[in-house]
Amino acid sequence: MWYIAVFAFYLLFIVWTCLKSLKNVESMSDFTTGGHRMGLFIGVGTSVATWVSVASVMGVPGYLYSSGVAAIIGWVAGWFFGTALIPIVAYKVRRPESPAKTFPEFIHLRYEPLKKNSQLRTLVAALMLVGYFVFTHLQVVGFGIVFSTITGMKYEIAIFAFLVFLLFTSIGGFWSVAVTDTVNTILIILGVVLGAVAVLAAAGGFSNIYDTLAATTAPTVVGGESLSKGVLLSPVGTFGLGALFSIFISNSLGAAVSPHWVARMLAPKSIKVAIMQMMISVVLLIAIFVPLIIIGLGAKTLIPSLPAGQTTDYIMPLVITEYAHPLVGALTLVALCAAAVSTANSMLLHCGTSLYYDIYKNIFTSKTTEENSKKHLRYTVLALGVLAVVSAIKPPVLLAMGFTYVYGGFGAAFFFVVYLGLYWKRMNSAGAYANIIVGTAVYIIAKVLGATNPFIIALAAAFVSVLIAVKIGKKAPLEAYEPYFESEISSSTKKVISTIQDDYAQEENMQKTASGSKEAVEG
Amino acid sequence: MAIALLIWVATIAFSLICGTILCYKVEKSKVKRWGYSGKLFK
Repeated sequence: MWYIAVFAFYLLFIVWTCLKSLKNVESMSDFTTGGHRMGLFIGVGTSVATWVSVASVMGVPGYLYSSGVAAIIGWVAGWFFGTALIPIVAYKVRRPESPAKTFPEFIHLRYEPLKKNSQLRTLVAALMLVGYFVFTHLQVVGFGIVFSTITGMKYEIAIFAFLVFLLFTSIGGFWSVAVTDTVNTILIILGVVLGAVAVLAAAGGFSNIYDTLAATTAPTVVGGESLSKGVLLSPVGTFGLGALFSIFISNSLGAAVSPHWVARMLAPKSIKVAIMQMMISVVLLIAIFVPLIIIGLGAKTLIPSLPAGQTTDYIMPLVITEYAHPLVGALTLVALCAAAVSTANSMLLHCGTSLYYDIYKNIFTSKTTEENSKKHLRYTVLALGVLAVVSAIKPPVLLAMGFTYVYGGFGAAFFFVVYLGLYWKRMNSAGAYANIIVGTAVYIIAKVLGATNPFIIALAAAFVSVLIAVKIGKKAPLEAYEPYFESEISSSTKKVISTIQDDYAQEENMQKTASGSKEAVEG
Repeated sequence: MAIALLIWVATIAFSLICGTILCYKVEKSKVKRWGYSGKLFK
């Protein structure tokens, strides 16, 4: 009863924020980068909210439950190391007076600034489309698991409720996303802290949990293979050293160059705000991950094996519903559901804008009105949402591992494109093509062939190909690298940047005019 | 378990040290647009 009541209350809150958001006129720039004016407080809030997704809140306790403390190295330390590397990107990418607004625009400006239509930008957008679609799919899976736990519906039916949320939240703008993200983050921090206290009390304290982890051989799922004694306290757990290192490196190096994190670093009002935003986020994230570690490890004491047919992604909702007070459980699970929906919506918007603005409009340059563009973008987002739900009926991978695969793919494709692009003047478009094509291809091949360390193999192959391509390719023009190395730039570079960014400015102005006229007519 | 926790703490320490060095470099640049304020964490 508590669960349904809290869920209904939360749904009303979502509808209210979305309807209120309709009254505000917001531009695409406000939505993506906050117009490069974001302050420290909001920046910390959005960064923490970005880290809090179903992979961290449900996937990590799942792996702690099945593989033990090794998951702390693979995912928790991996993501924290990635968070440490992101300011190194911010230190350079936020230098220009007129920074890029999106990741594909950054690629266009850094590598093909003299071209009106950049093929590299289209290629990057296509990879982003695939990566963010997988991220969306994972959020829908997480939503389905929690929603089926709350309502008792079958998972295959529960995932379709996501579409109802999508309809409501897709009409909301930046304001509604910011408000719901903040509320979700507060709910999740509250929920995981109270949940950890409940699990710790039910398990009989930390020493009892430690003793269980040292002695248990209970299989992860009823009827499965028994665990070796002590494996859950081993630093490599059930993974093995090579596989664990691969997970750690994919999660850290991949996350640091993921397009959504690079875009996040474009939003703050200065380089220093961007750096401090990540430093404060790291401290706040400790408050979320310590309780998650207690819940994941403590669950092994309370539920030695999962019921047959359930994956480890179910452990978080299962242990919360069984051992926390119904109100605490309801708040936590509703927050998990909401985090999945808000993250999925923002990922769907990444997919939609990549497909529509960076691929379709970059290839087909015919002029359409802004109203039509907005309509097409909305249809694209809804169609991708339906596809994500259908793809989630039979999820092929676990939540946390799904994130690791995508981060590995992004890292293989973009690591040198981002870091060498920002720190090496000679990095040119040939080098960028080499990194993206060779890195992606080798990563996929190594993965298909079952290599233990596909990310390292792909990164090594990409590095060699980048060096060869830079050596034989055309020298990067001054306009490409100057904004990232000098505080004052030449007039030719200024002209090139404004030419590329003008298209966006024109679209924004058209959007504002269209919204203004609509309001005037309605008024 | 101690090894896993130590590695995690090391990444946290690295994050804070790396951020501090970058803030110092911004201060040293004296470029206001980049965040120069005369104080390391302001």
